[in-house]
Amino acid sequence: MTWLNVGMLGIGGALISVPVILHFLFQPKPVSVDFPALRFLKQKQQTTRSRMQLKHIALLLIRCLLIALAALALAGPSVASNEFGNWLTLGGVGFSGLVVALVAAAAFFKDNKNWLLIGVLGAFLLGHLVFGGVAASRLINSETTSLIGDTQAPIAALVVVDTSPRMELEFENESRLSKAKAFGQWLVSQFPGDSQVCVAATDGDQPFFSVDTGAADRRMTKLETNFSGAKIPETILAGLETLEESALDRKEIYVLSDLTAEAWSGEGTKKLLRKLKQQPDTSLFVVDVGVENPSDFALGPLNLSAVEIGKDGRVSVSTVVSRIGDAAQRTIKMQVEKIDASRPVVRDGKTLFPESYFPVQSISADIRQNGTAPAKFTFSQPLDVGTYHGSVEIEGQDGLAINDERFFTFRVSKTRKTLVVHPENVNPQVMRSLLAPQADVEAGSARFDLQVVDQIEFNQMEDFAGFDAVFLLDPDPIVDTQWQRLETYVQGGGGLGLFLGRNANDQGIAHASFLSDSAVRVIGGRLDQQWFDETGDLFLSPKELSHPVFNPIQGSETAVLWNRFGIFKHWGIELNADEADLPTQTILRYSNREPAVVERTIGDGRVLTMTTPVTEYGFAEGRQIWNRLLTGKPVPLFLLLTGMVSHLVQNDAESLNVLVGQASVLQNDFSENPDSYQVFSPIEDKPPTTLNTVDGRVRYRFNEAPGHYRYRGLFNDEVVTRGFSSNLPPAATQLARVDASDLDEVLGADRYQLATQQNQITRQQGTVRRGQELYPIIVMMMLLMLAVEYLMSNRFYS
Amino acid sequence: MSVEKYLKPSVINQIKRLDLRAQFVIKGFLHGLHASPFHGFSVEFSEHRKYTQGDDLKDIDWQVFAKTDKYYVKKFESETNITGFLAMDLSRSMGYTYQQELTKFDYAICLAASLAYLMISQQDPVGLVTFNDRVRQSLAPKSKRTQLSNLLSLLSNLEPEGKTDFKHSMGQMASMLKTRSLVMIFSDFLVDEKDTLDALIRLRHSGHDVILFHVLDEAEVNFPFNGVYKMRDPETDEEIKVDADGFRKSYLEQINKFRDDLAANCRSSGVDYVPIDTSMQFDTALIEYLHSRRARG
Repeated sequence: MTWLNVGMLGIGGALISVPVILHFLFQPKPVSVDFPALRFLKQKQQTTRSRMQLKHIALLLIRCLLIALAALALAGPSVASNEFGNWLTLGGVGFSGLVVALVAAAAFFKDNKNWLLIGVLGAFLLGHLVFGGVAASRLINSETTSLIGDTQAPIAALVVVDTSPRMELEFENESRLSKAKAFGQWLVSQFPGDSQVCVAATDGDQPFFSVDTGAADRRMTKLETNFSGAKIPETILAGLETLEESALDRKEIYVLSDLTAEAWSGEGTKKLLRKLKQQPDTSLFVVDVGVENPSDFALGPLNLSAVEIGKDGRVSVSTVVSRIGDAAQRTIKMQVEKIDASRPVVRDGKTLFPESYFPVQSISADIRQNGTAPAKFTFSQPLDVGTYHGSVEIEGQDGLAINDERFFTFRVSKTRKTLVVHPENVNPQVMRSLLAPQADVEAGSARFDLQVVDQIEFNQMEDFAGFDAVFLLDPDPIVDTQWQRLETYVQGGGGLGLFLGRNANDQGIAHASFLSDSAVRVIGGRLDQQWFDETGDLFLSPKELSHPVFNPIQGSETAVLWNRFGIFKHWGIELNADEADLPTQTILRYSNREPAVVERTIGDGRVLTMTTPVTEYGFAEGRQIWNRLLTGKPVPLFLLLTGMVSHLVQNDAESLNVLVGQASVLQNDFSENPDSYQVFSPIEDKPPTTLNTVDGRVRYRFNEAPGHYRYRGLFNDEVVTRGFSSNLPPAATQLARVDASDLDEVLGADRYQLATQQNQITRQQGTVRRGQELYPIIVMMMLLMLAVEYLMSNRFYS
Repeated sequence: MSVEKYLKPSVINQIKRLDLRAQFVIKGFLHGLHASPFHGFSVEFSEHRKYTQGDDLKDIDWQVFAKTDKYYVKKFESETNITGFLAMDLSRSMGYTYQQELTKFDYAICLAASLAYLMISQQDPVGLVTFNDRVRQSLAPKSKRTQLSNLLSLLSNLEPEGKTDFKHSMGQMASMLKTRSLVMIFSDFLVDEKDTLDALIRLRHSGHDVILFHVLDEAEVNFPFNGVYKMRDPETDEEIKVDADGFRKSYLEQINKFRDDLAANCRSSGVDYVPIDTSMQFDTALIEYLHSRRARG
């Protein structure tokens, strides 16, 4: 409890003696009258005298209480908000207890004593005492919140501003960030002089105290949207560490947020809750600068059918347009830049980007209220070898523009060299058809330079470094030396595709050569047993299609009917779980949930192992076939194999399209690329930086904003342009509001105060700094006492 | 109706001469009787009776004939004379008034004078006894006109003083009464109830009719006090400090019980009891007298 004028308590205490003195000095003088019928009064005289004394004492008490209340009111007591309830309870119990005690005393001194009433009042009084005791003990044991008692005493303030892309949402000609900054500047101007102010943005940086409030104001002004993906809870946590360094008594946190669910999620929530509980003295204000019912169009992530294609290849780009708000129609356009060796370039301090495009494609999308609509484009042009950047964009005005455009990058590569190995009893035709169709070979446009060897020849080969990928089709037992050579090959960045089948069998179990340590390391697991299903009810059952292997399938998932291609046999595999590097992961399962395709990363390369062969052509003499994947129109298998092959030969392709904040690592072959590049960020006023090759790769980490990151270098006096695209994760622009209950879970119910207006903050600031003022309640009690005193004194001295 | 105002104590209080007070009270009373349900009674009382053969024609009241179309004769002498004794309590408590208008004593004197006026006008002999701790003054009963002036002269000079010894005083008075009389006692009876009862019984045993006019002040009946008072008994000078609000309920219970007990005791002893307070009109007391007079007539 704090006092505004504590001296008034002393003065009040002294003044209480005044009614006591007056009571004794100026005892009420009764009116003298003759009254002959006095004998009828004498019998009652004794009891009445006691009652009169009681009344006078009660009157004296009331007058003393009146002065005490006046002194108390002038002393300006205030208590912390979290204790206000307890104080109110205690005061209420005390006051009503006093009333009950007076009534009980009156009942006791009455002539016709109603013992039942006296008993009830006594019990009631006892209840008051017990209840008051509980309230008092709760008050004593409660964690006291410090009050500074003065709104102008310096404070340590942490002002957290959400600078996520969501804050760019425009509403009433103002972005959320602008509103937050304006509110934040006002807040900083409200802080008392000598306050320590820490302005923290959700940029992942460690917050710090500004030199003074002027510097804090300047920092607030300069805040910009950033794409680090840092959430508010973790920013508050980081800010709390800074706040703890302050020696000032009063600490306050202000969070300026649009109150979107995404902003208040993250791993830091539980830790923040614990931390805030440990610091009950630090008051927390949440300022809502969001929009209750926002309106927005948004593009979902882009799915590219391939990120590496041949010179006359084609790329399909699919996405989903989503809408928050009323139904609407929008034009979606896709454009792909032409390679421009002269750009990007910095001219007059400004970066000029390529401006020539292949023909722009547009489609119109009707989007239902709060619904979604698919959008798919197919790009097909004769292209030169190189890296191509493109984008998909929703045209027209929108509240939040940043999620209206998404970027993609693909490349046209030279012919990839692949080795297909097959035992004598396995026909490699399927891979020929897939990788090097006769028509393409004859036209000279085949993507793959295919070398097919039988396994005897393979066993003689010592080095596979010249191949981008090696495929083993239902291999016979492989000697350990070859397993080791394959492991070395993969470690160096090669891709290995293993399609296991009947030739790995040795009397019902896997041949010992597939169980050697080297084999297990390459495969990514230990083959344990064969699984049989003669009913044909077993089939491939992909659940999650986010893996790049499934890129060719994405966009036509529903058209692929895997259950028409039964699996009769497959190998079971016990995956390596304790690998030092990336563990083996299952990327495709059968409908019995056993692994069908597993991926193993070794060094810079990767291995894809399929536990059933892809060389069963519908009929085999003298034995049952393992699957029907190649029967009928084997489109699903071809799509899957296309994805697997692409994944194996382009092990840096994933880095062509990354999310903001993720590093992009591209292989850099010195034989055809420069050893260093200039990197041009999509941020126009950011100067280009130099990127050098390290360990045969170029790695760019400062991917801070969505857009195209362009590499430009010189190789043999020719310009080489490469690069990648960066996009925001969809969650970064989700505008769904956080529920009050969810916010309570993050900050603790009743732990924070929510405000939307400046005056709410002013009032709440006053409350937390000076506490909840008891003045109005005391004045009300005073008025009540005054009325009682008036009635009683009138009754006594009329 | 204008003369009826003299039945109100507040009006009578403005008239200082006792003879006029008595005259106005009686005139007001009689006027009221003519217009009241007591009409028949009042005719009987006012010495009219039906004409019977042999009555002197000059006694016929032609005004009554004009009103009623019946013959009534005036009677100037009562058929049965009754000796009245007015017993006036002189004690200091009778001098009490709360509103500073008529004291109990003034009220009792006014009432007694009115009754004396009435009785003498009916040719009834009236006597007077004043008492406090003993009989202080007495006037032998006579029915002459001069008796009224003597009686009023004595009454108007009385001053309340001393304590009351009702039993002793009534004993003395009983010994003074030679003939069967109607004793009308005016007192507040703020004495021992047993003494009062004993004295009344003695009077009744002596063959007297007794009307007990219990005169209390309006404040003694209603206890209109609020706040703290120091109250003094004027007879004993005893003082007590009282919170009137706390006392009121109990006091009213006590005083009502006192009056009820006295009324019950009177009833059982054949004594007429007339409770009066100084705010009441005088006709209450006078009607009671007439009831008694009729019973005896």
